[in-house]
Amino acid sequence: MTAAAGVFFAAMALDASAAAWTVETLVELIKEQREASVAFEESTYSSLLTEPVKARGFLSFVPPERLEKVITAPSQERYIVDGDRVTFESERKGVNRTVSLEDYPALRSFVEAFRSSLTGDIVQLRKTYEVTMEGSRAKWTLLLRPREVSGKSVVDYILLTGSGGRIATIAIRSPDGDRSVMTLLPGPPR
Amino acid sequence: MSRKHAIALLWVLLMAGGMWLSATHVAIHSELADLLPEGTTATQRLLLNQARSGLAGRLLLLGLEGGDVDALAEASRELSERLRASGRFTLVENGAQDIRQQRLGIVFESRYLLSPMVGPDAFSRESLRRALENRLDDLRSPLAPLVKTTIPEDPTGEFFAVVSTWSGADRPQTYRGVWFSKDRSKALMLVETKAAGFDADAQAAIQQDVRDIFASLRGRPAQLHLLMTGAGVFAVEAKQTIEREAWRLSTAAAALVLLFLYVSYRSITLVLLSLIPLTAGVMAGMLAVQGWFGFIHGITLGFGITLLGVVDDYPIHLFSHLSSRGSAAAVVQEIWPTMRIGVLTTAIGFAALLFAGFPALTQLGLFAVTGILTAAAVTRWVLPNFVPGWFLPRAITPALPAKFERLGRMKPLMPVAILLACATLFWSHTPLWETELSSISPVSEAKKQLDGQIREELGAPDVRDLLVIEGQTDENVLQYGEAAQVKLQTLRANGAIGGYDLVSNYLPSRRTQQDRQSHLPEPSVLRRNLDQALKGLPFAPDLFAPFVAAVESARTKRPLERKAMQDTALGTRIASLMFEHGGGWTAIVPLRRVADRKQLAQIVADWNMPAVRYVDLKTESNRLMSAYRDRTFLIVVCGLLVISVVLAVGIKSLTELGPILFPIMSALAVVAAVLNLSGESLSLFHIATFLLVIGLGLDYTLFFNRPEGSEEGRSRTLYGLLVCSTTTMLVFGVLAGSSIPVLHAIGMTAAVGSFCCLLFAGIMARKELYASA
Repeated sequence: MTAAAGVFFAAMALDASAAAWTVETLVELIKEQREASVAFEESTYSSLLTEPVKARGFLSFVPPERLEKVITAPSQERYIVDGDRVTFESERKGVNRTVSLEDYPALRSFVEAFRSSLTGDIVQLRKTYEVTMEGSRAKWTLLLRPREVSGKSVVDYILLTGSGGRIATIAIRSPDGDRSVMTLLPGPPR
Repeated sequence: MSRKHAIALLWVLLMAGGMWLSATHVAIHSELADLLPEGTTATQRLLLNQARSGLAGRLLLLGLEGGDVDALAEASRELSERLRASGRFTLVENGAQDIRQQRLGIVFESRYLLSPMVGPDAFSRESLRRALENRLDDLRSPLAPLVKTTIPEDPTGEFFAVVSTWSGADRPQTYRGVWFSKDRSKALMLVETKAAGFDADAQAAIQQDVRDIFASLRGRPAQLHLLMTGAGVFAVEAKQTIEREAWRLSTAAAALVLLFLYVSYRSITLVLLSLIPLTAGVMAGMLAVQGWFGFIHGITLGFGITLLGVVDDYPIHLFSHLSSRGSAAAVVQEIWPTMRIGVLTTAIGFAALLFAGFPALTQLGLFAVTGILTAAAVTRWVLPNFVPGWFLPRAITPALPAKFERLGRMKPLMPVAILLACATLFWSHTPLWETELSSISPVSEAKKQLDGQIREELGAPDVRDLLVIEGQTDENVLQYGEAAQVKLQTLRANGAIGGYDLVSNYLPSRRTQQDRQSHLPEPSVLRRNLDQALKGLPFAPDLFAPFVAAVESARTKRPLERKAMQDTALGTRIASLMFEHGGGWTAIVPLRRVADRKQLAQIVADWNMPAVRYVDLKTESNRLMSAYRDRTFLIVVCGLLVISVVLAVGIKSLTELGPILFPIMSALAVVAAVLNLSGESLSLFHIATFLLVIGLGLDYTLFFNRPEGSEEGRSRTLYGLLVCSTTTMLVFGVLAGSSIPVLHAIGMTAAVGSFCCLLFAGIMARKELYASA
């Protein structure tokens, strides 16, 4: 009786862990393991450029809605998405401007990708993107293709790679072939 | 056929012709704008002209409320798209389509002529290097997809520099990209109609369209509703109120007069006979106004019908003197000298209004003069021919004179009343004079409040402060504007003003554009500077060929003209800020949040720029109202003088003048006090009505003091006077109940005035001693 029960529960557990590796689980895991702030390095490849331009900085997220990308090198720039408002500040350009995300529908779908992956909001993510996951829990890729025309105009796809609940890279490719690759560095931001 | 019959027949033919003319040729207007004056100064003319057809009048402010924010945002988006597609608007803004975000082709093409950053140093190696480094930052930024397309053509970012100088005023906050009130209970929208704000018919059609489109929004929750305000909405409401009231008042007044006549004399024949001069008077008044102005205003018509209450005095005088002793013709001949003075003086009073310069008053004056003269003439020469030989009004109680004589005991009260009136006027908290131009408008207080609220929320307050810039040509104005801009920037920087909207921001003068052209380098120079600036930067080779070409094309192209912008949102903005006026060109510069008006006026005067003036619209409109009020006052005084002269000649006595005028002048003082006590400040319409009161008062006093020779005759006269004054008070009482301020003012003044005149004339009337009694 006890043995039978033991086998039964073992089978249940095994089944659960195997069946659980879905986009839902991944997104849930990302939410659980996300850090308040994470450093990144980003390379941008553009047809306007002969070689990629690089930037360093950190990303931070304050649930539920505040997303911040701070570039620390080569120059100081900050992009803050808070709810519907996007603020960008640039020291070099002397700019400090706030716009509405709705005024830039393209930007909106873009922000949505980050926000819904980080908050585990799979419903919202699926609303904005066609979501395809490949690989295993230890090494996965998550492919996001925008559904709406406005999103498609600037984003061909967004490709995230990672392991467990940790995102390793985020690549964004635009329809004209330009792309940026962001590598997230584990550990506290420097 | 007797002479009597011939006159009757001729009369019927005339009336039929007149009715046909009235029915086919009279155009009734109900727009408030038709009643506004021309203005007494150039500034006033400019402002009134702007109020009629300017931008401020064409703005409609919309609010959507009654749902959750997302439903409101969605409705706002869809409504704005549908409105834009309707083609009725030059501009539909709900936050989603800020003018600064529109990619305006012509602005992009002309960026090197429009950008304030183009100067002597703009394309040096150092400037270019800085610009290119910034573009690299752009490419690194998350906004890269949005900005990278313009980099090859516009690496120095001139387009952005141009649009960022455009003032977006103080716009409301957005939620999901749509303007919202602070508490997010209302989605807000601003639209600009192609039709002028005061074109009430066009505005009514547009507003109906907006409502229909709103009602047909897909998936609109039923509880969402639409708020709409703005000058156009006011114009429509004013028109509808005037139309509705003109008819309601006329019907009520006419019915009351006829009913009262019947009750007083218990005779249908008398009522029908009275109608002969009354209809003639009203018709003549209508045709005269139509003939002179080409249209008759609803307000004039509403007022005109109440003229019934004045001109019915004439047939009543006739009937009240009718007795078995003489025919109607004989009676009218007998009372004509007294009646004639009354008619003439009243007519003179109204004739004075013809010189008021205020279309509303001129129409009323013309209508009244024609109506009064016609009705009197008809009573004198036509009416007796219709009075049947057997007709006799009912006998009047002879106790009446005795009752009236008791009034005489109240004589000591007169000085008290006058003193009280003066004291009231002197110490009252209610301002004596009405100075707001808007007080003419019949728009309800609730509508005005809603307007104020939505304006506040939209950051589109009623423009009160302006700079007016005038010049011979548009180029002159633009150059003056640029000179003023430097000063305005300083004012904004030190907080004297919150902001401004200047035409030169959107369209630089030709001179400035040519100056910028002179700073554009030749292709070889530019290419050399660019090559040096590009050293070590990872831009693709030849990437900036479009930039070099664009600069070269800008260097040689003709400056951007106002006309090239027509039919764009920008062109509309320019046209609303600068226009041809009175043979020259004028720009108006709305100023926001003026800290200290007096100080600002001084500062602008100190600029020493004769082409630039500061105008405070409120002061200016007050000045306008005061100017017309003073003019009306002067007219009333002149009218009174002429009336006195006519009166003195008519009664062939100077000493008699005092006793006749005294009760009337006392009545005027008491009327003014009563109006003030009821919380009304005197407008030019009250003042103008004083003339009417004087006319009425004269009529009463003359008949009160008319020797009748017998107690019965006196009884009849007094009864007639009572009926006359009661009908007058009735019709003007009806008018006083109007929600149209002009009519209300006239009605109030005339009703109270009529009562006071009767009372005072009765008190001051001389006793008549009858030999036979």
